[in-house]
Amino acid sequence: MTDALLGPEPTGRPTWGMWVSDHPQLVLGSVLVLLVVVTGIIEPRYLTFSGLRNTVLLAAPLGIMAGAQTILMLTGGIDLSVGMIATAAAYVAANQSPSGAAIAITAGLLVGVAAGTVNGIGVGLFRVNPLIMTLAMSAILLGLFTALSFTVLQGSTTVGRLISTLGGGSFLGNRIPYNALVWGGVSLLVIYGLRRTGLGRLLYAVGDNPTAVRLAGVRLWQVHLAAYAIAGLLAALAGILLAGRTGAVDLQLGVNFVLPSVAAAVIGGTSIFGGIGTYSGTIFGALILGVLATMMTFLDAGQAIQQIVYGSILLGLAWLYARVTSSS
Amino acid sequence: MTVATVESGWARSWRKNVRRHGWTLGVWLLLVGLMVAYAALLPRFGAFQITSIAKNSLPLVYLAIAQAVIVIAGGIDLAAGAILVLANAVAARLMEGQTFPVTLAIAVLVIVMATVLNGIVGWIITVSRVPDIVVTLATLFIFSGVALLVLPSPGGGTSEGFRALFTGSTSGTGSNFVPPLLSMAVPLALVAWWMRRTETGLSLYATGSNRVAAYLSGVSTGRAKVVAYAIGGAFGALGGLAALAITGSGESRLATASGFTLRAVAAIVLGGVALTGGIGSVVGAAAAGIVLFTLSPFLSALGVDPNTAQMIQGVLIVVVMMIAGIVELRRQRAL
Amino acid sequence: MTSSSILATSQVAKRFGSVVALRSVDLTVGRGEVHALLGANGAGKSTLVKILSGVLQADEGQITLHGRNLRLRNPAEAQEAGLATVFQDPALIPDLTVSENFRLTDVSEQEVVEWLERMQMSGVDFDQQIRDLPLPTLRLIDLARALTREPAILMLDEITAALPADQAEQVFGVMDEWRDKGRSVLFITHRLGEVMRMCDRATVLRDGRNVATFVPREMGEAGLVEAMLGEAAQGPTTVQTAVAKGPVALETRQLRSGDRLKGVSLELHAGEVLGIAALEGQGQDRLFALLAGDRPPDSGEILVAGDPLLAQSPYDAVRRGMVLIPSDRLQALLPQRSIRENLATPLYRRVGQWWGLAADEDDRVRSAIDRLSIDTRAGRQAGRLSGGNQQKVVVGRWLAAGFRVLLCFDPTRGIDVRTKQQIYELLRELAAGGAAVLLYTSELAEIPLVCDRVLVLYDGQVVGRQAAHEATEESLLTAAHGLSSEDVA
Repeated sequence: MTDALLGPEPTGRPTWGMWVSDHPQLVLGSVLVLLVVVTGIIEPRYLTFSGLRNTVLLAAPLGIMAGAQTILMLTGGIDLSVGMIATAAAYVAANQSPSGAAIAITAGLLVGVAAGTVNGIGVGLFRVNPLIMTLAMSAILLGLFTALSFTVLQGSTTVGRLISTLGGGSFLGNRIPYNALVWGGVSLLVIYGLRRTGLGRLLYAVGDNPTAVRLAGVRLWQVHLAAYAIAGLLAALAGILLAGRTGAVDLQLGVNFVLPSVAAAVIGGTSIFGGIGTYSGTIFGALILGVLATMMTFLDAGQAIQQIVYGSILLGLAWLYARVTSSS
Repeated sequence: MTVATVESGWARSWRKNVRRHGWTLGVWLLLVGLMVAYAALLPRFGAFQITSIAKNSLPLVYLAIAQAVIVIAGGIDLAAGAILVLANAVAARLMEGQTFPVTLAIAVLVIVMATVLNGIVGWIITVSRVPDIVVTLATLFIFSGVALLVLPSPGGGTSEGFRALFTGSTSGTGSNFVPPLLSMAVPLALVAWWMRRTETGLSLYATGSNRVAAYLSGVSTGRAKVVAYAIGGAFGALGGLAALAITGSGESRLATASGFTLRAVAAIVLGGVALTGGIGSVVGAAAAGIVLFTLSPFLSALGVDPNTAQMIQGVLIVVVMMIAGIVELRRQRAL
Repeated sequence: MTSSSILATSQVAKRFGSVVALRSVDLTVGRGEVHALLGANGAGKSTLVKILSGVLQADEGQITLHGRNLRLRNPAEAQEAGLATVFQDPALIPDLTVSENFRLTDVSEQEVVEWLERMQMSGVDFDQQIRDLPLPTLRLIDLARALTREPAILMLDEITAALPADQAEQVFGVMDEWRDKGRSVLFITHRLGEVMRMCDRATVLRDGRNVATFVPREMGEAGLVEAMLGEAAQGPTTVQTAVAKGPVALETRQLRSGDRLKGVSLELHAGEVLGIAALEGQGQDRLFALLAGDRPPDSGEILVAGDPLLAQSPYDAVRRGMVLIPSDRLQALLPQRSIRENLATPLYRRVGQWWGLAADEDDRVRSAIDRLSIDTRAGRQAGRLSGGNQQKVVVGRWLAAGFRVLLCFDPTRGIDVRTKQQIYELLRELAAGGAAVLLYTSELAEIPLVCDRVLVLYDGQVVGRQAAHEATEESLLTAAHGLSSEDVA
């Protein structure tokens, strides 16, 4: 987003601002540690395995959903349908649970890929604005699954045992949640994919300058399609884990995760305009939001205060990033 | 060299206006068609139904106007719905048990407060250079959080006179369609005129259309953005007040706020406002707001269940946007 | 001179990060004179104009108007102070109508009409949107609007570029009139003929400084050129070498597209650099767009190595080895990504290449960096590189990926002489290696230096073919003006 008016971009010596913007993880890590310590002061029991475990348990589905958001934001897109995709996948997984966990999970993930692919077709081939496309997808899924919940999917709102273990269970003496394990695996894949594959390169490139990528002989719609399909897959996975944690599905399951997923990516340093960001930053973002939620619970602060704190942190960090990048 | 064509001036200006405002015209035709079809479907269609559509679509129409003004100026306000909810909560809290004149004064106060508040949001966007979408995502959380503080659970109230102001009846339901239509048309006409006919109004279009050219021709683009957000705040507050008048009490959930925002975004896009800024009008956005609102009762009159109706709404928006995308592509190719 | 001076700048300096755009400029514009501001690309003309019009703020130095110190914080303040600028890209809002644009800027429609009538432009329909009007019309509307503000100084930035001769005459008429009224004009142009004819004095900028101020008619065109280039800063030298021509790499037959291209046929051999000479807006951009697969032609054929190319998108063209270096390097650069990622992008064109990184990515990237001697010190973000290095990255991408035909559209715009020379040498080297190069450059003088043959494009048609060793800047300029060339060149 350079301004033609303002003449040539500044060049030359790196400044501390550039250094910080190149290593946002350090800033985020400090914020996270600070929050954990403060929470520990408020409630000493928090600084135990089970205390921290709860934060991770909260943060994992959000972190995976924010992974979907990160991938799309890197391309200059956004997905407001992650919440409904998660809900839809959870519904299908619950419905298929009697046929076995493997089939249930696969079916749920396929729903996510399908919805994501449709988003990708709209954005990539028909150039519908991503906000509008995914918003409409959200409305379509809500309508569809509300209707289905009265008919085909009626009654089947509880998930199978494996799914509830994955979503809510822990191992090593109740210390490490299984969903953290899933999140860890997803993180490795996403980080590797973004850094060490051709598609990863293109995701960043498309967000940075689509014209350049087109001129380089890449078919943009293919990249968009892949990005939205992967995002759908991740959202579906997050939905299944959520369903496992709560034990049952309802239509509100994923809705409250949409905006926090964007917030986690933004807090993690991913630019809403695309081209800049890392998934490791987003992981910090999700953890920060998770710790905040825990802290709010300990403080007995209601939903209202929590929203205000979320918003303020988001605004504050975004402002900081903007200052850091413009001072370089 | 531009040479005057041999064509009557009237026909020429008509053709040009159709070209330029074609989309707006189309949306109004769609609205009229929808109304006619709806009227034909219902066994009785009279003052009661007209009143019902006019008053119930008020909040969304106000919010669509708010969003349109901001988007035309090159922004986007994800917190528009939160402003609506905040105004709704504050007004419901303060107005409970008050007389009509007092509630009127509170309404004015709430509008002024929302105007200032969202103007500050616009100022923050200009100064911080954080993208609109990020700042307003943050204010969406903050404003709806404050609303929840003000009104922790649905409740509050207002005066009967105030309800009649927006709905035409002291109970909120009736057959007097004049007040709801007036409260829709008057602010709409005012802001539409202001945006097309005044220097400041045009500076909003200029900023959204081409910020560099606007700046070079001496427009204060920062001021334009602040003004746009301030007006958006005022209309968001109007939406909250209308919602209070309709239901007689307030509510303050985040889901309501984000739901309203998203429907307002859908409405302006359907109404021909380009999300890239500078194109479209509040008039089209308002009509699209009514269309979007009326679609569900219309479809249910057709015997479609509400969930399918919800899907149809989504599909409709996507299809319209796909067509718009293809048309735009062709236009670029034709140059 | 200073006694009647209206506008004066003293030691104005401006830098962008570590790039110095203006070192120190002293400029005086007198009452009732048309003053030319001259300089080669990158000399600092446009930066100075932006400072005088309030777009940029000087780091150092002073601006005085009517003897008073000026602090211009934005364009609105400059206009109020009496400095009106007509930019190359008119400052008109594309989505508003002409009259809405006037209302926006608070000027009287009636007065604009009067000025337009004086410029023989009475037929403009003010209810049309700006986006639907041709550029020359917009420039004149912008000029008329500026005149209604009665500015003390009228600044015209390359206003005659891409303006038809008759409309340019109207502009000159207005300039004369303005001078006769005792007002002043600051005229920025590349066209030396216009300077000789119109300007009372000229100030030459070089390397961010004012190096000379004189009366153009006394200096002569040769003197102007010498002052602009300086003795040390020679332009690029000939890099052309005789090469054996290979088989035909690219052929077009009667390419047509809208009203921009009216049947263009050309042949380009492997091992050859073919130049396209044209004034602005003669269809060259459309020609390159078609060849790069950016859009399909209305009719006609493109043959690559003998087989027809039916491109729906650049993907198809790149697959056949037709690659584009666009005029605006920001179009082809990933400013926020590293040099490596910039260079490697075309290696992942196909879905089959998405699953990992190319095994030879390292080698390809390294060899491209070496061959172009790209400065990798600010390599983490290509946007932080200097303009010349950015352009090298854009070229280097295709060295890393390989190609058959290199389509270069004004690849040296705004680049320093040394890098320019390097890029031209590289083009020759590539041709010697068997590649085919199609080169359009807006700097006509450089075509004979690099190319083997030249095609002249005028109004969407090829109007001349010259062998490079016979071509001179003058002969090309004459041909490029089509038939009505004599008086302009």
